[in-house]
Amino acid sequence: MSEKTKEEGEPMGIAISNLSVKYGAETVISGLSLDIPEGCFFTLLGPSGCGKTTLLRTIAGFAPASGGQIRFGGRDVTELPPHRRAIGMVFQDYALFPDKTVADNVAYGLRARGEKGPGVEEKVKAALERVGLGHLLSRHPAALSGGQRQRVALARALVIKPQVLLMDEPLSNLDAKLRVQIRETIIELQREANITTVFVTHDQEEALSMSDLIGVMNKGKVEQLGTPQEIYATPRTGYVADFVGAANRTEVPVRPASAGLVEVEVAGHRLTATDALEGPAERGLLVLRPEDLNISAEPAAGRQSLPATVRGRQYLGARTSYSVECAGGLLLNAEMHGAGHDAFLPGAHVHLGFEPAAARVIRS
Amino acid sequence: MNHSALRTPWPWLSALALALLGVFVLYPLLYIFTASFAGEGRSGWLQLLEDRRSLEAIGNTLVLACVVTLFATLIGVPLAYVSARYRFRGKLFITLLPLITLVIPEVVTAQTWLMILGNNGVITRFLKGYGILIPSFYGWFGLITSMSFIYYTYVYIGTVAAIGKFDAQLEEAAQSLGTPPVRARLHVMLPVIRPAILASALLVFTMVVGNFAISTILGHNLPLLSVAIYQAAVAEGATNLTMQSTLASTSVLIVMAVLFVNRRIIAKGRYEIVQGRGAKPQPLKGAQGLLVSAAAGIVVAVSLLPLVTIAVGAFTVSRGPVMRWGEWTLDNMARVFITAPGPLVNSIVYAGIATVISVCFSTLVSYLVVKKPNLMTPVIDYVSAIPLALSGTVLGVGLLASFNGGFLALTGTSTIIVLAYVVRRMPFGMRNGQAILHNIPNSIEEASISLGSPPLRTFLRVVLPMMLPAVASAAILTWTTTVSELSASLLVYSGGRETLPIQIFRLIDSGLMAYASAYGLVLVAVILVPVVVATTVFKVDLFASK
Repeated sequence: MSEKTKEEGEPMGIAISNLSVKYGAETVISGLSLDIPEGCFFTLLGPSGCGKTTLLRTIAGFAPASGGQIRFGGRDVTELPPHRRAIGMVFQDYALFPDKTVADNVAYGLRARGEKGPGVEEKVKAALERVGLGHLLSRHPAALSGGQRQRVALARALVIKPQVLLMDEPLSNLDAKLRVQIRETIIELQREANITTVFVTHDQEEALSMSDLIGVMNKGKVEQLGTPQEIYATPRTGYVADFVGAANRTEVPVRPASAGLVEVEVAGHRLTATDALEGPAERGLLVLRPEDLNISAEPAAGRQSLPATVRGRQYLGARTSYSVECAGGLLLNAEMHGAGHDAFLPGAHVHLGFEPAAARVIRS
Repeated sequence: MNHSALRTPWPWLSALALALLGVFVLYPLLYIFTASFAGEGRSGWLQLLEDRRSLEAIGNTLVLACVVTLFATLIGVPLAYVSARYRFRGKLFITLLPLITLVIPEVVTAQTWLMILGNNGVITRFLKGYGILIPSFYGWFGLITSMSFIYYTYVYIGTVAAIGKFDAQLEEAAQSLGTPPVRARLHVMLPVIRPAILASALLVFTMVVGNFAISTILGHNLPLLSVAIYQAAVAEGATNLTMQSTLASTSVLIVMAVLFVNRRIIAKGRYEIVQGRGAKPQPLKGAQGLLVSAAAGIVVAVSLLPLVTIAVGAFTVSRGPVMRWGEWTLDNMARVFITAPGPLVNSIVYAGIATVISVCFSTLVSYLVVKKPNLMTPVIDYVSAIPLALSGTVLGVGLLASFNGGFLALTGTSTIIVLAYVVRRMPFGMRNGQAILHNIPNSIEEASISLGSPPLRTFLRVVLPMMLPAVASAAILTWTTTVSELSASLLVYSGGRETLPIQIFRLIDSGLMAYASAYGLVLVAVILVPVVVATTVFKVDLFASK
């Protein structure tokens, strides 16, 4: 009884210290430390094979840690089997029990905790109504659409009031429109329950729109940890800059300029950029987002710009994506919005303007 | 394996399964291998080389296997082709063929051939009345005829499945590239279905090598390997352990060589078939349709002949070996149910227990192999498939010799009969179980565990219900094949523990065909009733996992 009340306590933060995970001889994660605050919607973002799913499965207990510690609140769960960790988990393929009705699927976790009687039914009904499926109690999963299945999976994971909610690419099997809808449902439910959530995805739009905090993963390490704004606006590595949003990256010689700014040389021109080098350096990586590059026929007065030639052009409706070539063969990607965004044709000689604040130089 | 894995039940269950397989599969096999070398006196292999009759038995068996394989393929492949690609009158009967092979035990088939073409057979006597003497059905002629008409079904089933999976668009592609239809079919389809044909042909080969019932009933004085093993084991008792072990080892080596060929040559030629569109069967009309219907009809009629013959024979008056056709009686059936019901009761009890044990064991073990792999599970997987390579006679010899005394004396008990059944049929359940488990994603189990259900409870509450259709079909298949098991149980049974097939075998040996028919009819009913009940009442799909 005492254990039960403990398990159903308030949501807790997750503290991971010096965690290592091995698959056979291969080390997938080594020495990873991470603090996820209580009630936080935390996203692990990265391409396939970066170790994000392994990290999630280690938090869940399905992949054993070979070193380090995982704590939920004050509780060390590193050695605890998954069924005693008080987690809620949502899977990419929904993982609904095909032989059980929607109601029985949702009731499963409550019954596993020894709950019986009308209390279970009430909780199940309330949980399903909360995700808008109160009318489908006696259906079987095979008779549901993909979006409905994912909602049932969500209700099933939340009805047990877990300490942490773990989600493994829960939206990747849904079509684009549904994805946006269910995103909202997930966020609402997470806020309502104020439950610490770890969400795994390779979709940067999902990560940026849903998260309180994002950890961008690369080769088993968290390469940058920050709010969506920090991750997008101030990427600290070329990898993060490229993975989150698109970015032009080019290595440049650097000279210090006035406070917070540096002078860089791009395609034979000296330009001013923001110093994000975190220390003195002679060379750095210049990061320019395509939407921060402005194409014009003549150089804009009082603004730094590079002469270039349009090489390619993709009309995308609300915007146009250009490929432009600067002196020395440097190819850059630029995106134009607003009236006349499709005005420049391949072969046109143009000027690329940008603000020093939008051009960041980071360590290469 | 780290220590947290040891807190789950799976490593312990794996160890238990491995121990059981070690004692009841590996130990008997190793026992006969070692006994073939180290008996009293000279090595069995040296004795074998000097024993003309044994060498002749091996040679005859290989020749028989080749010829039967050839005929079975020649009947099975065309039949499969026309039934997969065409519609014609009577096609429904052909689709029932797999069921026929399931239902009719070999011993009954052999018996009916004797009742029709044997020395006292209906046709033999009828022709004799007109002064026509037909050649004896015993020996090569009878063996090849009866075996070909049983084993072609395996080729048929394998080929139908392969043609069904064949993407008809490949054929259309070949035609679009300028190949005429018939050539397109030969060029494109044949290479794709050839591995399936070869695999089923090799299966037939191993089944002929291991066949005991027909070999001994129709072989008469023709030396054959499985009959020689049986005789060495029974006629001279345990005294000639060396010779029976040597012959049994020879049988195992032949089957292993065939399986090796299967792996090496056929697996190489297997093509990945991308999900395609199957061809729609075309109707056959006119003379062509009649011809196909007639040919298919003959094959099916010959396959069904045993059922009709024993049904009539079971109610026919007889005096000793002579059947008085046209005179009816209920005496034969009364014997099965009232005078001597022992075999019926024994069969139901032994096969029932064996089916339950076999299904439980194979379900659990296939779960371990597929879902909870550890260092032991690949070995378990391998060892549990070994009985597939052992003929019933070899298995019987192994069990008899291994558990005659020593640390586990089982000879003369009912336990050893049940054990023989379980070991012989358990691989079928394993295959079924593994196939269905590969279709259950791991996330389903993890979902249950994440919801707070411990591993064992998860298996019972989530995985087992999902496996149930496959478990049910495995149970039915195990039951049907166990009830009709003869060759292993014939070696290990003792007086008073006769089963239906053993009783039928003994009655045939004594020439009492009417009684044998009655027992045979009851045996078919014992096999058929659960199949019918399961498929119609409980809607079990017999081939759920395929």
